[in-house]
Amino acid sequence: MPPTEAKHIISLDRLTIGYHKDNALLSKLNLTVNRGEMVALIGRNGTGKSTLLKSMIGLLEPLDGRCLLDGLPFAEYTLLQRARRVSFVSSQIAQLPALTVNELVGLGRMPYTGWMGRMSQEDKALIKQALDEVQMASFSKRKLDCLSDGERQRAMIARAFAQDTPLMVLDEPTAFLDIPNTFELIRLLSRFRDGGRSIVYSTHDLETAMLCADKMWVIHEDRILEGAPEDLGLSGLFDELFSKSGIRYDEQAGRFHFSGYIKGKISLEGEQGKALIWTRNTLVRLGFLLEKGAGQLIKIESLKDGYNWILENNLGSKRFNNLYTLAQFLIQE
Amino acid sequence: MKIHSRSILIIYVLGLLLIVLFLLDIRLGSISITFADMLAHISGRASLSEQKLLILTKFRLPRIATALMAGAALPVCGLQMQTLFRNPLAGPYVLGISSGASFGAALVVLGAGATGIVATWSLAIAAWTGAGTVMLLLLFVSYRIKDVMTILILGIMFSSGLAAIISIMQYFSQASALKSFVIWSMGSLGNVTGAQLTIMAWAILPLLVLTLAYSKVLNGLMLGEEYAMTMGIRIQRTRLVIFATTSILAGTITAFCGPIGFIGIAVPHMARFLLNRSDHRILIPASMLTGMVVMVFSDIVSRLPGTEQILPINAVTSLIGIPVVIWLVVMNRKAQSL
Repeated sequence: MPPTEAKHIISLDRLTIGYHKDNALLSKLNLTVNRGEMVALIGRNGTGKSTLLKSMIGLLEPLDGRCLLDGLPFAEYTLLQRARRVSFVSSQIAQLPALTVNELVGLGRMPYTGWMGRMSQEDKALIKQALDEVQMASFSKRKLDCLSDGERQRAMIARAFAQDTPLMVLDEPTAFLDIPNTFELIRLLSRFRDGGRSIVYSTHDLETAMLCADKMWVIHEDRILEGAPEDLGLSGLFDELFSKSGIRYDEQAGRFHFSGYIKGKISLEGEQGKALIWTRNTLVRLGFLLEKGAGQLIKIESLKDGYNWILENNLGSKRFNNLYTLAQFLIQE
Repeated sequence: MKIHSRSILIIYVLGLLLIVLFLLDIRLGSISITFADMLAHISGRASLSEQKLLILTKFRLPRIATALMAGAALPVCGLQMQTLFRNPLAGPYVLGISSGASFGAALVVLGAGATGIVATWSLAIAAWTGAGTVMLLLLFVSYRIKDVMTILILGIMFSSGLAAIISIMQYFSQASALKSFVIWSMGSLGNVTGAQLTIMAWAILPLLVLTLAYSKVLNGLMLGEEYAMTMGIRIQRTRLVIFATTSILAGTITAFCGPIGFIGIAVPHMARFLLNRSDHRILIPASMLTGMVVMVFSDIVSRLPGTEQILPINAVTSLIGIPVVIWLVVMNRKAQSL
């Protein structure tokens, strides 16, 4: 049996991946995943996220280098040993078989059951726990083709959970989900992490990843940068990452904006807190740079039942009772 | 995944239906042999006449046994192909097995000009060799090619290529040989007797047991090969086993009975619809049972009770299978998602 207490559950050792020897997607990767850590792999479409995840868990042959699982190269494990250590959720919405949710989750127990797939009490308990974890217990008799995207994805994740592996690898688990479903799913993964599992998932959604990942692997050009999300933010990587795409990372606010041309400069004072943040968002969206002592000034005034915004510039002062009319006025100017 | 009581009920009903059809099929014909006659014979109270006994053991029982084996084997092949390729329209012949068998038969009948009963053996051997050659080629290809869909396309192309060669051979052949070949290609359950039946049983029965043992693996394949690998299934080996069992089962049936259409495609869908389940551990035995029921029923229909005429079995199974497939696809959304 391989040692189970290596420090890193996964460590990539000069791993080179791609589909042809003379055309590697990513070369000489040295990356690690600690036990109980959640890693978000960030990259744009076509940068090799799926290829990396699949090469990492032995679904694709790496071109060079190796991936160590619990300190031992993947090749030294049998498929069954791997299946008890690593579970996978693919990005493809496969043609769904006419299985019920319960049967699908039951497939996760395959590496543990005998040749006829008979389930023990323990297997059944784990299936039930998996369904509870993803809050699908009441759906267990439903067919997969009668589920919404979010429910289906949760069912797929329950299957991986039932496989009871220390490492879960998920390829774009949030790709087809709306925002509430995305957050719910990420929270679910965080809970698994808190329960001691290691999670590696790929996404192009930097913002939600920042909320939960212990570590990010960011694909930039032909390298992968590794670090806490905040470290990478501090290094200015995100702005660089999106510089070509017309998106600007607002380092002060920690969020993205379209980087159109700069419309002008404006300064903002008055009310602190919520009103200030939303006003700032509006101005940044419109393309204003916030700068103290600029020619135009917006004051936020707190009223009993809301806010007023007073715009002061060389033409005089004007009062607005919502951000929409303020924005309309600024655009027309 | 426990077996639901509904499934058990359906299995019982199918079993009962099979027994009724079996007895009916034995009885029908120019000379009637009833269940009571047989029972009396077995218990020794009153023996069957020599003529009846001959008809029973040399004609009717071998024919029904052939029908049962074909009925059990072809749907299992179809089910395996549908699951492996994740395509509801896959069947036992998508790999080119029946084309291989037909090519072998064509070589004997059209090439060597063998006809008549003497030719039955050489025909079966040639068809078996043809199917076997296609299988070996397929296994070789499947070992080399990663993508299972490529294998499907190759199988279909291969099958069309062989069909083209056969049609050239037909074009240049004598009228009598051509007729023999056409009749072979219409299928028949009645040509398998004695030693041939024994050989067929030896080739088919153990493999049917093997496919039952493989049902857990087939379940794992339902989400596709990537998922299957991450759940510990050895894809290359699994493919080899599935291709080999399908080839031998479908190849043997085709060699002895000629091509039998649509049973392989339609019956797994019928079983899925009846049970409303996708678990292969129940679907495989249910497909076998349903297939046997449909085959015996087709045999009865092909004998056109009340007349002296016999319809080719291939036409009957197709005429039964096609409406089922159409009905499933049009009326039942579940069939679309396998």
